[in-house]
Amino acid sequence: MATETAAEIQLVVFQLAGETYGVDINHVQEIIRMQSITQIPRTPAFIEGVINLRGRIIPVIDLHKRFDLPRAELTNNTRIMVVELGQVTVGMIVDSVSEVLRLPAASIEPPPPIISGIDVAYLKGVGKWNERLIILLDLDRVLRESEQRQLQQEIAAGVDTR
Amino acid sequence: MSELDMSQYLGIFLDEAGEQLQQLDEAIVKLEQTPDDLDLLNTIFRAAHTLKGSSASMGFNRLATLTHRMESVLDLLRQGKLAVSREIIDILLAGLDRLRALKDSIAAGNGDEGEVGDIVTRLEAVLAGQAAVTSRDKAPGRETLTLDDIEQNVIRAAQVKGFQAYEIRVQLEAGCQMKSARAYLVFNNLKEAGEVIKSVPHTQDLEAEKFNDTFTLAFVSREDADTLANIVKSISEIKDVTVRPIVLEEDQEAAAAVPAPGQDNGVPAARANGKAGEQRVSQTVRVDVQRLENLMNLVGELVIDRTRLAEVGNGLKARLGNEELLETLEEVSLHIGRITSDLQEEIMKARMFPIDQVFNRFPRMVRDLARKAGKEIDFIIEGRETELDRTVIEEIGDPLIHLLRNAIDHGIEAPEARLKAGKPRHGTVRLRAFHQENQIVITVEDDGAGMDPEKIKARAVAKGLISREAAARLGPREALDLIFLPGFSTSEKVTDVSGRGVGMDIVRNHIERINGTIDIRTTPGRGTCFTIKLPLTLAINRSLLVQVGGRVYAFPLANVVEIIAITPADVQRVHRQQVVVVRGRVLPLIYLGQALGLARAVPAGENYAVVIVGLAEKQIGFIVDNLIGEQEIVIKSLGNFIGKIPGIAGATIMGDGSVALILDVRSLVDNLGVEASRELAS
Repeated sequence: MATETAAEIQLVVFQLAGETYGVDINHVQEIIRMQSITQIPRTPAFIEGVINLRGRIIPVIDLHKRFDLPRAELTNNTRIMVVELGQVTVGMIVDSVSEVLRLPAASIEPPPPIISGIDVAYLKGVGKWNERLIILLDLDRVLRESEQRQLQQEIAAGVDTR
Repeated sequence: MSELDMSQYLGIFLDEAGEQLQQLDEAIVKLEQTPDDLDLLNTIFRAAHTLKGSSASMGFNRLATLTHRMESVLDLLRQGKLAVSREIIDILLAGLDRLRALKDSIAAGNGDEGEVGDIVTRLEAVLAGQAAVTSRDKAPGRETLTLDDIEQNVIRAAQVKGFQAYEIRVQLEAGCQMKSARAYLVFNNLKEAGEVIKSVPHTQDLEAEKFNDTFTLAFVSREDADTLANIVKSISEIKDVTVRPIVLEEDQEAAAAVPAPGQDNGVPAARANGKAGEQRVSQTVRVDVQRLENLMNLVGELVIDRTRLAEVGNGLKARLGNEELLETLEEVSLHIGRITSDLQEEIMKARMFPIDQVFNRFPRMVRDLARKAGKEIDFIIEGRETELDRTVIEEIGDPLIHLLRNAIDHGIEAPEARLKAGKPRHGTVRLRAFHQENQIVITVEDDGAGMDPEKIKARAVAKGLISREAAARLGPREALDLIFLPGFSTSEKVTDVSGRGVGMDIVRNHIERINGTIDIRTTPGRGTCFTIKLPLTLAINRSLLVQVGGRVYAFPLANVVEIIAITPADVQRVHRQQVVVVRGRVLPLIYLGQALGLARAVPAGENYAVVIVGLAEKQIGFIVDNLIGEQEIVIKSLGNFIGKIPGIAGATIMGDGSVALILDVRSLVDNLGVEASRELAS
């Protein structure tokens, strides 16, 4: 904490469908290997299921499905990134986690209106680092909205006659 | 004290204040029935006294002031200078309500905000009325000497060394000149004989002459009371001196256990003995529930690691054959296993509380409700000491409140009606808790009017809940179940008491949510009895593990009626619904995978394993791929992110670390109804 200055943010950088993403390291609790996930019936497709994280039941979401990205093969590099946001702890499946890096806040720009891949609403900005672009995820949106969407689905399921 | 940061004690203070208020509430209601119970009065007085002390030291002045006035009234009752009357009980209860409101306000972070003046005035009126009668004792400035923990410890230490503690009350002549000088002389002369531990008012006030003509000292000395009195009396302008030995609180309790010399009839003395025994509490430590939960999780981890340790042992054995080191490993792994299960059990026990925690708030409630409804009710509680898990305790309160309300409002008749029916004026409501096998049973029983199945049917038809034809087909037992339908109420008029929009359907939902069942027995004219059966704990559940689609699911054993094996030929169709006939009974049949929305049809096979679950009168068979067996499982929630999923009650972690889902049989079945109608519609 002491070394961190306001002008710098520390990111966990990961790969998703060939692009480089980053999330604030303060939200990342740990990164674990892929493991067997217990499916839960009647949940949105992007919720893969739940895992046992040292006695806690943690939901796991697949970011590919979350962002409507092309499906990826599970590899040896596939990881579950456990993030914590307020009361919610969620595992996110990513293709690989590459590094942790510090980025000057000044090198972060607001998301461009057109960006390949995911919905701009889930982005906090785009950071430039050594000629590479790192897409910064807005975890708040990614996690909170999935709750809302789920709620809507539930309501819809109650009314809908399929 | 004000320099200290008291906020760190706030949690403890609130917890304890809550307990003291609860204790007071209960005891004061009891006092109304047994006004002469001196032990009870002493208990009440002590609770009020402790509350006063703690709120004053936390700086909550309104709380302290109000408790102080109540304490004064209680003191008069205790000394027999005031008789217990309904009015006084009312004022005391009103005071308690106000104290509770202040406490809530503190808990909400607003300090002890709230009006107490009116109650204080009422209490003071009681005190003043009394003062007129016994003016001699009510001399101004009369202060009881209250000793805090430190002072009590000083006294105890002194007693060990052979000193005796005295309360010395000195009254100066009226119009005495230089009161502070007199006080100084008293201190000075006494110094020869022992030590002043405390003075009321404080020495600074004595020096500044900020006192009336009286002051009181706590004094330790080796001299006897007379000698001390003589030392003080030798000073001029002293009107009166009383010297009494100080009896500390626990000594008082010990003294209460021995029949007091004045109590010469045997019965109350025996009762006093019993009471003293009840009050002996074991030493306890407050622990955050979350802590216990975490402990439980850690033990769960241990269990999993132990299994893996055993696997490693087996693997090594296969590779290396019998080695001495391996045997040691095996031994250690077994030992760890035993310790782990003991640990698990101990932690479970640590979560158990006597149900009294819930029950103790009912006597007051019943009294208030009965008064409001104009009914006379004897309220009997049995099995207060029955223990159950904290989580269950938290959930069971509301349903019980509702059942008691119902018993008072609808069950027990008005006194005149009871007399007419040849019953005693007083109705009886009995609340009982006891253990039965692995369950806890709670009954709420009244000797009131009972329920008439025909009337219930008529009511349900009138409310449009069922058709006349359907009603006619119902037997008396099934008719009773109608009261659990949403929107049903037998009450003719909405009263202040029960007209709160909570029906029996909510009660049943509540109880089923904690894996319990509720049952009714009733006899018209004789009364009604509700029986609730609950698991001992919510955290651990005996379950039947089954396999469907390669995954493991758990049926709570409480819902499982039986397990049967059938062949596809046994499956028949009625109204497009698969059914099976079991001992002459037709049961709907559904593949669990389909019920969960995972698969459409039963996989082909020569035999089906069927789990028959029961919900009240309804029974349904679920076809599963495989039966695994019975096991105790630890229930964990799926968390906020996933939220409530129909058909799923939660998850549990299996011995190998994998996660299995626990089925919520009621919502699973309810959901089936929805799906079936969808299918018919399509």
